[in-house]
Amino acid sequence: MQRTILLMIIAILAFSCNQNVKKEGVTPEAEKTEQIVSATVVELLASPAEYQDKEVAVSGMVTHVCRHGGQKCFIVADDGETQIRIVPGGEIDEFNIDLEGSTVAFKGIFRVMEAEVAADHVEDHESKEHHAEEQSHSNAEKAEYFVEALDFKEVTE
Amino acid sequence: MGWRKWNRWIHRELGFLFFGMTIIYGISGIALNHHAARHWDPGLITKSESIQYPEALSKSDVDRNTIEKILELTGEKENYKQYYFPNQEHLMIYLKGGHIAVDLPSGEMQLTKIRHRPVFRELNYLHYNKPKKLWTWFSDLYAFGLILIAISGLLLIRGKKGITGRGGILTIIGILIPLALLIIYLWL
Repeated sequence: MQRTILLMIIAILAFSCNQNVKKEGVTPEAEKTEQIVSATVVELLASPAEYQDKEVAVSGMVTHVCRHGGQKCFIVADDGETQIRIVPGGEIDEFNIDLEGSTVAFKGIFRVMEAEVAADHVEDHESKEHHAEEQSHSNAEKAEYFVEALDFKEVTE
Repeated sequence: MGWRKWNRWIHRELGFLFFGMTIIYGISGIALNHHAARHWDPGLITKSESIQYPEALSKSDVDRNTIEKILELTGEKENYKQYYFPNQEHLMIYLKGGHIAVDLPSGEMQLTKIRHRPVFRELNYLHYNKPKKLWTWFSDLYAFGLILIAISGLLLIRGKKGITGRGGILTIIGILIPLALLIIYLWL
């Protein structure tokens, strides 16, 4: 019994020690001074170089959330055709399936993949690992452009 | 107390302490394995049903009235969110907890209802370390405990059935199987 209690004390100490670890060298989100650029999906895709690695605000209806862990979702532009891929970043772990069909405002970094990475990405997609058939979001899924979401808010259900 | 008694004590006490964690990681591990292999989705329950729209449609025919008629036919009026056209021949109506995919030329409607799978959702939430914070440290402690349970287990029994006999052969087999699969699938 005494040994069991000793074991439990060690476990509690291990917890409490780890709680004191401070996050050093992490820049809080609030300290970022870079301005957020508001853009539409079409504007982002029309001139990607202009927005590359900038913090952007973009919104649209979520057409699809990846069923395999919610690690990407797609929003459609007002033209009803152009879509862009959004991936979770910052404190966001995944996108919930319930977002499908909702208009969502995202804040995040617009990324453009390097040519080599983009080629691997397309090859991965064409391996049919994710979808056996082409989907309406397939172009956006293969695209070298995406938004790494840092925050999002449902505008409508 | 001799080291063998300590070893038995560690194996027994940690075994009891981490019983719950082993069940959590064991069950969710099987579920996630089959999720990764695309056999089934442990997080979601999806049910589909086919319903026929009375006539063929085209994109230009679809208006608010058409959407309302579809929602009435499928009994989903209360759950409507938004709609859009994935392409010229398909209409997608989003619902709270699902969607209706309409093949416009044939009028065939596929009503899909999606809900979160109870129990597995919670187990996966823990397995993927979604809670972070204290769960990170407790699951680390469990992982360390599991290593101790495995090592102490090797040394539990002496003689023919122990590590120097049959137990040793089983241990080697248990190491060789993942190693062989790794060589086949990753390195060859």
